[in-house]
Amino acid sequence: MVIDVQHLTKTYGSFRAVDDFSFGIGAGEVVGLIGPNGAGKTSTLRCLVGIQAPTAGTITIGGHNIVSSAISAKAQLAFMADEPQLFDYLTVMEHLRLTARLYKVLDVEARAKRLLDELELTGKEQALPLELSRGMKQKVAIACGLLHDPAVLLFDEPLTGLDPLGIRRMKETIVARGKAGAAVMVSSHLLHLVEEICTRVIIIDHGKKIADGTLDQLKAQPELAASGSSLEQIFLTATAREP
Amino acid sequence: MIGTFTYLTLCSFKNRMRRRLKRLREPRYLIGLIVGVLYFYFAFFRPRSSSRRGNRGVPGLEQFAGSIQVLGSVVLFVIAALAWLWPGSGTPITFSRAEVQFLFTAPVTRRQLLHYRLIRSQLGMLLSSALITLVMRPSTLANSWMTVVGLWLIFAAVRLHLMGVALSRSSLAQHGRSGIWRQWLPLAVVFGAVGVLVETAVTGWPGLAAATDPGAFFAELQRLCTTGAAGIVLWPFRTLTALPLASSPAEFLAGLPWALALIALNYAWVLRSDASFEEASAEHAEKRALQKASPKAVVRGATATPFRLGLEGPAETAILWKNLILLGRYVSAKTLLRLLPIVIMLAVAAQSSGRAGGIATAVAGMSIWLAAMFVLMGPQMMRNDLRQDLAHLSMLKTWPVSGAAIVRGEVLGPAIVMSAATWLLLLLGALLGTGLFARMGDGPLPILNLVSYAAAAAILAPPVILAQTVVLNGIAVMFPAWSSLGSSRARGIDAMGQRLLMLAGILLTLALSLLPGVVVAGALMAIVYWLTGTLLIFIPALLVAFVVLVECWVAAELLGRVLDRTDVTAIEPVE
Repeated sequence: MVIDVQHLTKTYGSFRAVDDFSFGIGAGEVVGLIGPNGAGKTSTLRCLVGIQAPTAGTITIGGHNIVSSAISAKAQLAFMADEPQLFDYLTVMEHLRLTARLYKVLDVEARAKRLLDELELTGKEQALPLELSRGMKQKVAIACGLLHDPAVLLFDEPLTGLDPLGIRRMKETIVARGKAGAAVMVSSHLLHLVEEICTRVIIIDHGKKIADGTLDQLKAQPELAASGSSLEQIFLTATAREP
Repeated sequence: MIGTFTYLTLCSFKNRMRRRLKRLREPRYLIGLIVGVLYFYFAFFRPRSSSRRGNRGVPGLEQFAGSIQVLGSVVLFVIAALAWLWPGSGTPITFSRAEVQFLFTAPVTRRQLLHYRLIRSQLGMLLSSALITLVMRPSTLANSWMTVVGLWLIFAAVRLHLMGVALSRSSLAQHGRSGIWRQWLPLAVVFGAVGVLVETAVTGWPGLAAATDPGAFFAELQRLCTTGAAGIVLWPFRTLTALPLASSPAEFLAGLPWALALIALNYAWVLRSDASFEEASAEHAEKRALQKASPKAVVRGATATPFRLGLEGPAETAILWKNLILLGRYVSAKTLLRLLPIVIMLAVAAQSSGRAGGIATAVAGMSIWLAAMFVLMGPQMMRNDLRQDLAHLSMLKTWPVSGAAIVRGEVLGPAIVMSAATWLLLLLGALLGTGLFARMGDGPLPILNLVSYAAAAAILAPPVILAQTVVLNGIAVMFPAWSSLGSSRARGIDAMGQRLLMLAGILLTLALSLLPGVVVAGALMAIVYWLTGTLLIFIPALLVAFVVLVECWVAAELLGRVLDRTDVTAIEPVE
């Protein structure tokens, strides 16, 4: 498993945001993480990328523990937050150059050109974030994430702010990275997106994993079988939002 | 509608106050409030000994009232004139985004919006007047209320006038050539007034230049500003500035009707204007909101980077590169190097010219003073380090870089820029300062000693700046709740008290960090002096610098470990 999470628990004071959550993601898998608001999706992702320390449990990325071997683990992953985090004072190209230096990418020019083309950012190399739309900023953050060709990709609501063409390109990008061998996790409320691009789905509620498997496997589960064929129905049944 | 606007204004004020009171439940704000109140008490209310001050007021404020009135009237005139003459579209009437959203879309007339803007500004102006009065400390209670009301009326008049100017300029922009006909009267008044004052300044300059002391200068300035055409032009401004400086209620009440008449005149002018301001105000509100979110970036575009970032090398260099860009994209090694020949040329020219002594000494004194300020205050002002970047902690923590490397890279930015600026100033001071040092001592300073002092200062400045930067970043990492992160700042007496406490802590830490090096270096200096009779202080300075740099390195390592363990939830946005 490229991502291996064992008994992950994250608490804030007395509130248990993630509770004994275990899962693994292998190379080439695109896993959707879905759950209602406050289910613990963002806390899980933040623990996975080392932004937050787990209260208990272990997380390994490509065999490296995210807490004890943080630098080796982080070198293999990319996290695309729902709100693109960019430095206001750096241009698009400077963001890529900074990322290249931090992740030790030597052929930045070629890779940057390819990514800028892929994400339709060509011509925006010298633009500051404030000169870009939200969708464009999202694309810049994704370009930075993809620059070092990470083995692990974590997306938090990747389609927010993108136009229809951007949405299609983003879906293609995620699927392509999965096919290229990356372990991908996508956290989203857009169930049709998860249904369309993910090879596996994990449903989380109140910090606990309540379902894990391919759509067919979920449909085959006795307690979810009656809910219908769509992920939406499965999700609503699993989270007891609908009887 | 006035009632609605008053309700909105008072509710906003009440809720802001309630929020500030509520945050006092947090110890950092409560302690800050206690310190802030104590500061105000000791600074402004504590009775001073009669030997130091004759009364509780600013000594001699009344005796300078005439000069202050004249200077104040000139300043007000300049503000009014600049509002007309400053290039660009001028500042429109300001509204917040929420005000634009709620009021511009509501069935509210243009006149009502202007009334709202006026009502809204009164509370702030009144509080500002009270604060300035507190600082000026008039000698009696009667003088205090006159100062408060007088200042308030000045602020109100200026606000109204600037509003009128904004509307007039808007009308000019909207109507083109016909706008000039619509606004011919104010335009004629402004250009006529500026012409009169320029002519007075030109003809009166010889008299001002001939003044041998400040008293004679101000007497002449007062004469020029109160007589002839200039006296007439400046009369409205003198009338306003006379109010807070009135020596008795009778004098105040005598000037009050005229001041109120001027305010009424401006009010009528504002209401009469036919210019629409809504679009410009809405645009301005958006711009301000963006600026608040990320200052400077709105106005400055992408320019050259400080240096070309190589693809290989330590992460610290990459973070330094980023932070130098953050500084404003203007401070580069090239820029500083370009300044060097200018500094040297100025110094040589000043030294070789006939009147060099005076000018050179003054420039040298100012340079040394500025260098000292840069060393002591610069790190607190220049915040292109973790104090900015902790707002991006969730991004920093995804980087495959150790916390220590992040801390080192972050502190380098402000330290290098401040050190380079300090070196330039010290160079200027050393080149021009021979006269200054001769005046301070018994005679000309031996060149060896001068070089030694300059070298010692240049050696010590970077470590002292770096040590402060490390301390400030350390506070941000270890006590993020106590530090202002990002570009926002908390306001209020409690926040001011917090900052005072922080300053005391920083100075104490700085003193402690310097102590070991200073003790060892002092002993070394004493030995060298005893052996050679020469005060070569740059050698001990080197020792102090080395010790402080080692301390900084160790501190960065320790802070890096803390940063590695820091959870993003520990970093809360400042109010």
